[in-house]
Amino acid sequence: MKSRIVGFSGMTFKKYEGSTFQLLSEVVSKAMEMASISSREIDGLLFTILPGTFDGKANVHFPSFQLSSFLGIKPKYIDVIDYGGPSALTMIYRAFKLIEAGEIETALCVVGGKGSFLRENKATADSVDKFYNISLTPFDEFFRVYEDMNPVTDYALVAKRHGKLFGTTDEQRAMIAVNQRKNAMDNDKAIYKNPITVKDVLSSRMVSDPLRLLEIVYPVDGFHAFIVSKHQRNSNLRPIRIDFYGEAHWTEMPTEWKDIVYTPTVESSKGVKLEKIDAYELYDSFTITVLLEIEDIGLAEKGKGGKFVETTDITYRGEIPINTGGGSLNVGQPAYMSGGVILEEALLQLNDMARGHQVKGANRVLVNGIGGWNRGHAVTIVLEGE
Amino acid sequence: MFDKIKEKYLSLMEKERLPYIKCKSCGHVFFYPRDFCPKCNSRDLEVKISEGKGKVFSFTKFQGKKGETIYGIVELDEGFRMYTNIFGDVDIGDEVVVTFINDSGRKIPVFKKK
Repeated sequence: MKSRIVGFSGMTFKKYEGSTFQLLSEVVSKAMEMASISSREIDGLLFTILPGTFDGKANVHFPSFQLSSFLGIKPKYIDVIDYGGPSALTMIYRAFKLIEAGEIETALCVVGGKGSFLRENKATADSVDKFYNISLTPFDEFFRVYEDMNPVTDYALVAKRHGKLFGTTDEQRAMIAVNQRKNAMDNDKAIYKNPITVKDVLSSRMVSDPLRLLEIVYPVDGFHAFIVSKHQRNSNLRPIRIDFYGEAHWTEMPTEWKDIVYTPTVESSKGVKLEKIDAYELYDSFTITVLLEIEDIGLAEKGKGGKFVETTDITYRGEIPINTGGGSLNVGQPAYMSGGVILEEALLQLNDMARGHQVKGANRVLVNGIGGWNRGHAVTIVLEGE
Repeated sequence: MFDKIKEKYLSLMEKERLPYIKCKSCGHVFFYPRDFCPKCNSRDLEVKISEGKGKVFSFTKFQGKKGETIYGIVELDEGFRMYTNIFGDVDIGDEVVVTFINDSGRKIPVFKKK
């Protein structure tokens, strides 16, 4: 059985005043409308949820019941994918597989929540353990006893070491923020649209040396919903196939990796062919994250990412378009996960729906997600129009 | 086994000793306690005491509760790495030594510039 993405939607707000369920309902309704599919026809539910990002409480008990019950879905398959950032990409892949295997007919994939609760309490989804006294690793007694500002401090360690090993400069990282902002200026969904310069980035507040404010995502409220189905109905979306999929999970502490300047993207993207990729949507929690992915997927050799961003036009009009809608650095990061933002942008590009920032004739888009407090999870997917 | 290793870690730290684990089978060393060797899967492990000397693998400065704070990774001379707080003006590669601070009724290993 052939599966296809028949509907999708995303909504993001700096702060959504209504309830999380209300926001979820609005987003899912829009996706179902695009797919011309009703909630009764959805028989697969795949979602992700992070502690502290649903209704402000530490956890949501039995979210499988809560989400299905609220949305009026009677699934015969439920899957909770909990590794944050790249989970949305995995959901789409699994939905395709489930439909092709005849297990289900239509899947709803949901990612998001509210980032504002934790943001207002100066916590993040990666420091939520200290805020709510829940565990983050099996080694918390020897790891979570230090003063940090994770995830910013952890990524700062990577940026610092990348600079020391390879001579990568603050200016080079800033170029990523500057060029992504250029893309955001033509994207209705972006919350940050005023032009910025390298000097602006380098004079923004130092948060965790060497990472500055304009290199770090802003957590927001929002959801993304994607509907994969064997039924096309009245959906105008073009058929898209998954040309490549890889996921990798590095389960040791980053201190035990060969070096912290690599991510599991090295493995999840193994074997991907970069020829004829029209756009790249690379997980952009921080500028350094994008730089690492540029190297790990093979656009540049390890250590040459800085030079690459200095000499390559990565805007949507450029030679190698990256984060064509400005990425989550400019759209905002809903519930501390950027996966929905980059997947939605890929689908907009592939359907010629990226108003104002369309890459001409975009037919193959590579999306790469990174997740976990420690960059331990990576998913690489290439979507191709048929 | 895991609980025993953890207990040993905690009691050594109370005596201001920095523990680590060495695999008796393949010689791999690691800090975060597990009851198997992450490299060769052997369960023949030994808790050892580090000399407490190492080098800064990476670090970052940020505004913490008491002003400028350094968070980093230190690579010990025995070959294992750990996350920690560091005191003093350091750069990557600088030599540091372990010292213990009291925190919430426990002794926590941190590092200072040599």
